[in-house]
Amino acid sequence: MSHEPHHDSLTRREAMSRVGVGALGVGALGFAFFGPRGRKETSGRLVLDYWEKWTGEEGAAMQRVVDAFNNSQSRILVRYFATAGIDQKTLVAIAGRSPPDVVGLWAYNVPAFAESGAIVPLDELGEPLGVRLENYALGMRPIMTHGRHQASEGENAGSQKTRMWATINTGGTLALYFNRGAFREVGLDPDRPPRTISELDAFHRKLVRREGDKGPLTRAGFLHREPGWWSWIWGYHFGGSLFDASTETCSIDDPRNVQAFEWVQSYSRELGLGELERFRGGFGTYASPLNAFLAGKVAMIVQGPWLANILRDYAPGLDYGVAPFPVADGLWQEQAPIGAIDTDVLVIPSGVRHPEASMEFIAFTQRQEQVEMLSLAHCKSSPLATSSEDFFARHANRGVRVHDALAKSERSFLCPRTRTWPFIKDTLDATMDRVSNLRGEPAEILRDVQRICQRAVDRGVDERIRRQRGRGIA
Amino acid sequence: MGVGHGGPVADARQPYEQAAGLLWASPWLVGFALFMLAPIAMSIYYSFTDYPLIESPLWVGLANYERLLSDERFWHALKQTCVYAALSIAGCVTLSLALALLLNQKVRFQAFFRAAVFLPTLVPLVASSVVWTWLLNSEVGLINRVLGLTGLATLLDVAGLAPAGGPNWLLDSGWAMAALVLVTLWGVGQTVVIYLAALQDVPAQLYEAAAIDGMGPARTFFNVTLPMISPVVMFSVITLTIGAFQVFVLPYVLFNAPGTARGGPDQVGYFYTFYLYDTGFVYQQMGYASAMAWVQAVLVMLLTGATFWVSRRFVHQRSD
Repeated sequence: MSHEPHHDSLTRREAMSRVGVGALGVGALGFAFFGPRGRKETSGRLVLDYWEKWTGEEGAAMQRVVDAFNNSQSRILVRYFATAGIDQKTLVAIAGRSPPDVVGLWAYNVPAFAESGAIVPLDELGEPLGVRLENYALGMRPIMTHGRHQASEGENAGSQKTRMWATINTGGTLALYFNRGAFREVGLDPDRPPRTISELDAFHRKLVRREGDKGPLTRAGFLHREPGWWSWIWGYHFGGSLFDASTETCSIDDPRNVQAFEWVQSYSRELGLGELERFRGGFGTYASPLNAFLAGKVAMIVQGPWLANILRDYAPGLDYGVAPFPVADGLWQEQAPIGAIDTDVLVIPSGVRHPEASMEFIAFTQRQEQVEMLSLAHCKSSPLATSSEDFFARHANRGVRVHDALAKSERSFLCPRTRTWPFIKDTLDATMDRVSNLRGEPAEILRDVQRICQRAVDRGVDERIRRQRGRGIA
Repeated sequence: MGVGHGGPVADARQPYEQAAGLLWASPWLVGFALFMLAPIAMSIYYSFTDYPLIESPLWVGLANYERLLSDERFWHALKQTCVYAALSIAGCVTLSLALALLLNQKVRFQAFFRAAVFLPTLVPLVASSVVWTWLLNSEVGLINRVLGLTGLATLLDVAGLAPAGGPNWLLDSGWAMAALVLVTLWGVGQTVVIYLAALQDVPAQLYEAAAIDGMGPARTFFNVTLPMISPVVMFSVITLTIGAFQVFVLPYVLFNAPGTARGGPDQVGYFYTFYLYDTGFVYQQMGYASAMAWVQAVLVMLLTGATFWVSRRFVHQRSD
């Protein structure tokens, strides 16, 4: 047969192939079962993985804190990993039972992570290392704690025990940033920013500029949706709130919230929706010279202390001022300003093998000198109860004392502390759109939103109860 | 049977050949089983549970499917996806066909034109979407500049459809869907290539016969070209339908600007997969998200089945 020799050579090749595949298979299995796990305890040092959301300058600053910790002792080595989509990846890592040892999340993640048991309480771990709630500014403390329903742990079914779940390494509060040059240009006193919503409206009207008398807008005094990151805050400046954590009840259609959204809508009516959309369409991204505030297109915005970093990079000559964001008439108090708190937190995921070591690293990051170093680099305020004068003197943001006062104010507020918050927030973002785009009366829209959000909260409560019953806990 | 060899040697070798074949294919088979088949099977189970990812799944029966019926956001996302699918598929098929017909002409620089049409499909979707956010910028964007220069912006303004400078593509809910379809059409290159191959496969004698019969270009297109390439058109409609129901990156990036709701103004671009992603990974309701995924799969299967059913009447099956 003419194909016999060919057949012989094929057999040899097949044999070789099988050996090759077998070797590859054995290698792959070996790698899978005995390969590196990303956690090595080398040179006698315990290696901890720290996931954080910061990259660039902010990441480099945190890396300096990590390096300082690694150099301060010889038992633990922390590795810093900048991670995008950190809350989602952390969840998956915890579910996959391979969590990092320390994670930097957002403040709003704490309730959901705490309730689902994804993170460990820090009270007992932090106490011996001096990490206590009273170290932190008054307004910051509620971020760190959450009342976890104890029924799942078999104690006092249905009740809550408030525990500390997170620490904060940089403080973020929201304030009014205003263009002092624009104030001077229209005859406003740059040293007397607006304190009430009525004043803000009056200042806004004065600051509006158009091409000609009735031409296209070239400058707005104030716009709620620039930058538009916090669609949920307005009601609080009218004395309202969105959620009562003790009864797990939404209060989105509270008259004060309705009043706030009517105020939001009044800007679209006054400036003209089409014209406003055209004007906003020309705004650049936040971290660019085309940022509407930096470019002089909007004279007053709500922002956090980190804005000074962008100002330094893209508009170093801009003369800006910082003040607590105005409140409804009758609510203004100089000694107790109102402002939203929006910051980052450090947590220890459930399932870590060395929670004490993780806490040791966290405790190091919470030392005043480390917090201040990081806050200076990030251009944020300190979350601690006390800050050094040197910190204020060296800070790049001229309004850092305003942010500090907001962090210490008992009237400052957080986003609702519920695990349903991401859903409520998205719904409120869409609500902001509906209200601003004149899709209906705010009262009517908020009634609708209240119904949708309360249903989501109720569903979350039902699921929690069902889960508790599933575990045989009444 | 050792087909092609026929002898006893070949028969004896058959089990070894099969084993070797399976061994070579095993990396893929194992990968498919572990990373596709198993998750698919698990998602069926999860769709009947309350599963917040961190905690163990809890059986809830049909509750997730029942919840879909009263979920306003689900119906909104489904409606928007259907609108987008109808517009983008119609636009893609029409534009691809037109471009394929043009590129099928024997003209100078034919290869260049073909490459130019295909090139956009090579750009990663996230990168191109970011570029499009700038192109569609209402004040400094190139699209509105072109509309202004050609007088179309004035025409839209006079008709009361857009402001004087051109549409607010990404902020006006009336134009946001148009923006999404426009960006989708930018990536028609792959469909064009498929249509082009189909056009080149149409027997030349049919065109000769049509010419002898005195058919003009339009009649030739509708009576010869279109029927002959109709199986390919049907294939593209099916793949485009599946793609349209899975679209996620485009609205996610295009409407990522702060100050806009998820999915853009009035959530015009809040499509099914967008909501599914939010439900699973943002709201931590993996059980409900799994139910949504299975409803999506069934919907796509039904639509594909409907396309096949319709095709029995409109698609010409060649018997060569």
